[in-house]
Amino acid sequence: MNVRFLFRELQHSKSQAVVFVLCVILSLVSIVAINSFRRDVRQSIVSDARGLHGGDIIAHSHYDFSQPLQQELDALAGQAGIERVRTWEFYSVARREDGRDSLFSNIKAVEQGYPLYGVVELASGRDFSAVLQPGKAIVAASLLQRLDLAVGERLLLGESSFQIVDVVSRESLRPVDFFNFGPRIFVSAGDLARMDLVKKGSRVNFETLLKVAAAGRIDSIVASLQDKTVFGQERVAAATTANSRVKRFFDNLLFFLSLVSVFTMLLAGIGMQSSLAALLRQKEKSFAILRSLGATGSFLLRHYLLLVFILSAIGCGLGIFSGLLLEKSFTRLFAGLLPDKIVLGGTLFDVLEGIGLGIVVIGFFTFLPLSRIKNVKPAAVFRKEGDPGLPARGGSVLIGCGVILLAGLVVRQLEDVRIGLYFIGGVLALIAVISVLVGAMLAPLSRIVIAALPLRQAARSLLRPGNATRTIVVTLASALSVLMTIYLVEDNLHGTYIASYPADAPNLFCLDIQKDQQQGFLELVGEEVELFPIIRARLSSINGKMINRREEARKRGDSLAREFNLTYREQLLEDELLVKGGSLFGKEPLQKGMVPVSVLDSVAEMGDMRIGDVLLFNIQGVPLQAEVSSIRSRNKSMLYPFFYFVFPEKNLQAAPQTFFGALKVEKEKMSQMENTIVNSFPNISTINVSETAVELGKIMQKLSTIINFFASFSILAGALILISSVYATRMARMKEAVYYKVLGADSRFVLQVFFLENLLLALLSGGCAILVAQAGSWGLCRFLLDIAYDANWLPTLLMLGLTVCLVVSLGLLSSLSILRQKPVRFLREQL
Amino acid sequence: MAKAFFVVMFIICMSVSGCNREPDVAAQEPGEPMKTIVAVGDSLTAGYGLDESEGYPALLEEKLQAAGHKYRVINGGVSGETSSGTLSRMEWILTLEPDIVILETGANDGLRGVDPRLAEKNLRQMLQILREKDVVVVLAGMKMVWNMGPEYVAAFNRIYPELADDFDVVFLPFFLEGVATQSQLNLGDGIHPNSQGYKKITENIYPYVLEAIERREG
Repeated sequence: MNVRFLFRELQHSKSQAVVFVLCVILSLVSIVAINSFRRDVRQSIVSDARGLHGGDIIAHSHYDFSQPLQQELDALAGQAGIERVRTWEFYSVARREDGRDSLFSNIKAVEQGYPLYGVVELASGRDFSAVLQPGKAIVAASLLQRLDLAVGERLLLGESSFQIVDVVSRESLRPVDFFNFGPRIFVSAGDLARMDLVKKGSRVNFETLLKVAAAGRIDSIVASLQDKTVFGQERVAAATTANSRVKRFFDNLLFFLSLVSVFTMLLAGIGMQSSLAALLRQKEKSFAILRSLGATGSFLLRHYLLLVFILSAIGCGLGIFSGLLLEKSFTRLFAGLLPDKIVLGGTLFDVLEGIGLGIVVIGFFTFLPLSRIKNVKPAAVFRKEGDPGLPARGGSVLIGCGVILLAGLVVRQLEDVRIGLYFIGGVLALIAVISVLVGAMLAPLSRIVIAALPLRQAARSLLRPGNATRTIVVTLASALSVLMTIYLVEDNLHGTYIASYPADAPNLFCLDIQKDQQQGFLELVGEEVELFPIIRARLSSINGKMINRREEARKRGDSLAREFNLTYREQLLEDELLVKGGSLFGKEPLQKGMVPVSVLDSVAEMGDMRIGDVLLFNIQGVPLQAEVSSIRSRNKSMLYPFFYFVFPEKNLQAAPQTFFGALKVEKEKMSQMENTIVNSFPNISTINVSETAVELGKIMQKLSTIINFFASFSILAGALILISSVYATRMARMKEAVYYKVLGADSRFVLQVFFLENLLLALLSGGCAILVAQAGSWGLCRFLLDIAYDANWLPTLLMLGLTVCLVVSLGLLSSLSILRQKPVRFLREQL
Repeated sequence: MAKAFFVVMFIICMSVSGCNREPDVAAQEPGEPMKTIVAVGDSLTAGYGLDESEGYPALLEEKLQAAGHKYRVINGGVSGETSSGTLSRMEWILTLEPDIVILETGANDGLRGVDPRLAEKNLRQMLQILREKDVVVVLAGMKMVWNMGPEYVAAFNRIYPELADDFDVVFLPFFLEGVATQSQLNLGDGIHPNSQGYKKITENIYPYVLEAIERREG
């Protein structure tokens, strides 16, 4: 081992060494920070899930709990480390004591200690448990407004009188009880007997919530409780697995975080690879000279391995240190976003894991450039150019091992073998696609006759044998496509979950508006409200195959067994797009007796429906044959009405129908509006979702901040790496500048050629990256996250513009110094 | 089986121009015209969560035909429908040319706390229309869940017997007699009968339907 040689090599390639170390640092920072933070976020999500459901374990039934389940629950309640709270929720008519008015309300009787998790905030700021005493009621603000009552006055529930003592200002459980008719009234469970509303013949949601101190016991308790349930009647679930609408968002958020960490790792790897490759390319000549002087291939490899090891060690140290520092600052960064109880901070495990992951990434991405050292032939000293090519013997085996190792790493990060393998397969396919694309884009360049000399020179120099164009473009395009993918996926997550709760989202839904009430209703609400016709029907068969209702009903979530709401209209809704079919109802006339129907993608998937399939509906006793004419998708969330089956107006106009109205009402006018509607049209039921919207919006906003932070962190890291790798390849272009000057070109010409060459390079990489990123993001959104995809072309093109500016200006900047200096100095150094 | 029969016996064409229907007479046996019972109602009639063949209209049809009554029973139930909805589709129901209508509606009015007077007004109008069209009616009475409060429950439960008296219709006092609150006869939601529940309902309603047939056939 020659220490002097090592030291001199290191000194001679300072800038590339710095870039390499920077990449190692970035990859470790992001791995350490994201991994430990992801754990904290998961903790936060678990806590949100509990807050949403009010306990760790929820037992639910519409009947009194069966004896075995009740006994098990009672036994658990007696154990140390387990708290239990029971609730009874039902609808009833709340009345003013003077009998002047009454209101359909949602009553929730709760035991002391409710909620075990989450909050019920009161307008007075007092503690919920302390305020809710027997004989007292805590009500929603809208109840006071609609019954014209005030805090301190009395309310009749059943035959008992209650004093209203406070107003609910926020309930963290609200998003789970989404569709609630009527405002909330909390009473103490001790008043149940006095109210006499819960007995045989009542419809009540019985719930028992458990708080389990030892989180590890939750699953086994759930399992033992589930053993005791009456099938189809009683339900026991853990808060984290309970099927809430917000759950999918949580899952997607965690997955996105994992994705970002993998992406950042890959980006950093690309950075390492390109900086090292650039360094070695620059050293190629000295390697050849060394080889001519008798140094063996393994001598070079040994020293460079050590060099990379030293650089990696420096990078690792700095990376872990900065990662922990960054992670510590999350506490301040996300103050108020994460629950207070969560202790942020890296553990020794994070550090070790970070080092382990770092070694794998470094090993994989430096293997290829390093393995080329051995292949440098002494003859290279006489050649002006030459690419050592891939290592021949055992090379592919090693690459294969590397890929397997990397796949393991990705699987570990994504915590799912199948998805991890899909992902790695996808990434490899993308790299292959990029290489092919670059080849396809470069090929025509050689055949095009270009008149302008600078442009011709620029184009030809890209194609010159031995030029690293292909490598540079593939590297750049890969990095760029990863960056764009992060951006696009983040944007689509945001669009699906966050932007679908905009300030102007409807907050009052009106059901059961009759056909002859349409006009009156519209006049009454005095606004432009779209009314959606609803025709109830069952789907009898698909292409003659009867729907197996028994089997369908067993499916989790939605099924084809239920009655559907059909509607008619001639155009797409604002948030809809056609995914299949040229128009909503097709242009071709259908056979007699057949009508066209446009199907929403989600129900199309449920029943494997395709264009041209024949669906048989039963509309309240009357069969209707319809042919699928198009498949629609939608990009808004649950606060917007949507319909699985849309028909042309003329085909369903005569069918019995009611209308559904979605209104946006100002908060202050909400109660008045509900009263006005119900007084004029007592049959219309109103569902006020403003509280739900606010509560959901809060959670989404909070988590979106976290998403945005990590996406921008990753994008920033990626941009730094991108800059570094462009910088690392500047040597190759420097040489060109010198040759042009030697051949008599003036600075302006050289600049022109450089500008054009860099422009072509940037456009090529950017073009490939856009194609790949769009395809990749579409796949991720569609298949892994299961959300609608919006291509966002404008920001994508903006990113292309930015890349072009970056590559061109960096390319030009790095050659400016040469333009100003005499070429002879450079030549003297190089030859 | 019942469904297949239903489809064959009641092929109705929907033309592209709208919902025009022509009863298919080809499938009927000559000389023995099949009469029509339309079961009008909400999810309790529609057979929420079950196959149509398990709902009471299908079971009733089977039972009637087994006993030699040439009647088909059309399931005209719409889940979630209130009495206002039922009233506004009376015209549609009448196009089915029913000989007998089993009218079961109003439960959703009660479950949503709609003023019982509205349900009564709607039912009164429906009964009036059916009387004018000379349709024999079996009125299925409904009782409201107790948690709505004694005052509301009393006001609601009064509607059906009063209307039955006023219109002299065949009256089944409580559609869910012996089924409501029985967990083994209902789905997990505690309110919709399961297939066992519908067997019981069919047994309950059968004598009243026979009475209606008697009235129809004079």
